[in-house]
Amino acid sequence: MIKVEPRLETNWAWTTGAFTVAVVAGFAVSGLLVATSGADVFKAFSALFQGAFGSFKAITASLVKATPLILTGLATVVAFRAQIWNIGQEGQLYAGAMAAYLGSLILAGLPSVILIGGIVIFGVVGGALLGALAGVLKTRFRVSEIISTVMLNYLVVYLLSYLLAGGPWTEIGETVSYHQSAPVPEAAHLPLLMAGSKLHIGFLFAIVVAVACTILLEKTPLGFEIRALGFNPTALRSRGTDVSRTIVLVMAISGGIAAVAGLSELFGVGHRLRGDYLFGLGYTGIIIGMIGGLRPGGTVLAGLFFGGLESGALYMKILSGVPSALVPAIEGIILLFVLMAGVISRFRLVRVQNNG
Amino acid sequence: MGELFQEAILVSILAATVRIMTPLLFAAIGELVTQRAGIWNMGVEGTMLMGAFVAYIVVTAADSLVGAVLAALLAGALMGLLVAFMTVTLRVDHFVTGLGLNLLASGLTLFWFRSYIAGRPQPTFDGFENVALPGLSDIPYLGEILFTQRGLTYFAVLAVPLVWYFLYRTKYGLEVRCLGENPKALDVKGVNVAARQYCAVVFGSVMTGLGGGFLMLGFSDRFLAEVTAGRGWLAIVAIIAGNWMPKGVLLAVLVFAFLEALATHVQVIGVAVPHQVFLALPYLASILLMMGFKVRAGQPAALGVPYRRA
Repeated sequence: MIKVEPRLETNWAWTTGAFTVAVVAGFAVSGLLVATSGADVFKAFSALFQGAFGSFKAITASLVKATPLILTGLATVVAFRAQIWNIGQEGQLYAGAMAAYLGSLILAGLPSVILIGGIVIFGVVGGALLGALAGVLKTRFRVSEIISTVMLNYLVVYLLSYLLAGGPWTEIGETVSYHQSAPVPEAAHLPLLMAGSKLHIGFLFAIVVAVACTILLEKTPLGFEIRALGFNPTALRSRGTDVSRTIVLVMAISGGIAAVAGLSELFGVGHRLRGDYLFGLGYTGIIIGMIGGLRPGGTVLAGLFFGGLESGALYMKILSGVPSALVPAIEGIILLFVLMAGVISRFRLVRVQNNG
Repeated sequence: MGELFQEAILVSILAATVRIMTPLLFAAIGELVTQRAGIWNMGVEGTMLMGAFVAYIVVTAADSLVGAVLAALLAGALMGLLVAFMTVTLRVDHFVTGLGLNLLASGLTLFWFRSYIAGRPQPTFDGFENVALPGLSDIPYLGEILFTQRGLTYFAVLAVPLVWYFLYRTKYGLEVRCLGENPKALDVKGVNVAARQYCAVVFGSVMTGLGGGFLMLGFSDRFLAEVTAGRGWLAIVAIIAGNWMPKGVLLAVLVFAFLEALATHVQVIGVAVPHQVFLALPYLASILLMMGFKVRAGQPAALGVPYRRA
């Protein structure tokens, strides 16, 4: 007789295998989805991958798209590893962009290097404060961070909507207002990494943050607390750790990381504060972090991969007519399979004696 | 602000409150049963979005309001089965499951929506009409506020005492409550815990899907991406703020609906406060409500804890 029992330790090969099966299954279901829309599945997917990774230009464009996803993914990793369910990356990203924009107004006229440094500090502080707010709501007022971060996301979006549509940051055109800010000064643009591409220094930020997250989680006392908080908060408490302080700190770090995504999109890509190109980056980051196995390295890989797909989506739309919204659908489907695979990889089949 | 308190406007705000309350109430009262059975379904937002979306597809493609409502119910049931499979059978963390489901719903509806309207103007539809209850609708003020509403609104309000009766006055209701407090006791008694939890999740999700369907058919004439705009989350807040009691849930839902009704009227009247302030009120209120209700006496003890036999 064969019996299913929990594994005592996770088996690396088995986990990787389950993960691979999940991704393949996710793409198979996504293929069915394309088929239901009446398009040629093979043509759509080959256009998608070609648009993502098919040329040097496509690859640099993919790296640009991957940058905010890696960052919001890392923000997810830091919080979720502590079993703090921060889903406020969206709002924290907006807050980061807004605070950084405020910084660019205050510091206008300074030399480029100082200006950009100041913008980064403003942005990170903005996102970290919003994250910490949810942390305080959780520790002081017992408000679940899931609820508070979702609600704060909406509040921040309405604040931005006010600032850009009638509020003080609104750019007024000749006759109409466009729900966007005036362009940021050239000196505040993030420097490009390569001439002839749009790849900007924000991508380096993402990689640096990924390395920093690895060091934080694996090599520092705070990292130990984060992992212990996720694993056994009671033990951590009896060890004398101020768990409330840790929670607020983790939320601040997570918010600060998401904020980098917001400011890097604003000063590296959009060059104007506007809601549309920031929309959804925070929620997608949650998927990226979870598919990346809540590890910084895996999150970078997942970010590069899905950033590529998002970048290739337009090419796919032009070539095969399949809406570019296929990519968020693929992300959601793969996420669900990965969650299932995560469970399956924690079990094993064993042969047991049948005692009749 | 003075105009707000004119009679006609006040009546209109209150009538809108009851209408706006409907989808929230369907979701909140349904998910209340799910949560009392021990399952934290965080996928309410996504389930509602799915309900709204399929209702839109059916009403525009087949021109049938009844069909659209049935489709929303079915979509809710399928989403519920998925949640139950993940949380009860696979025992994936309830929060993670819900998040995954919301993201899935958001991606799928956007893709299907774009595929559906590709290359043509977005089709619109005529939604529900008001059903004036004979006699009652002639009562001054109250008639207009309470008894001249969409048909499903009466059903949503009726669902509150029905769910209360089920939970507190029937054997199955007692067992549902026991699932959330001490599932082992039921298991020992020989009750199939998993099957009951499946039923509770599917019931909640069907109601949530119906709420999504109403959101589409009762308010609007077209689908928009992310049309639910956090209402699923407000339903969850209403359950917590209502301390897991039907009456409390109804009260919390009324607060949210009133604030939203206020916001829509303020926009029309043109008060000198940015309208975003009013639009943000329900979300702000939800955080304040949660801060005010620190005591969670009514929270089922085993809520969110995957049940496994030792």
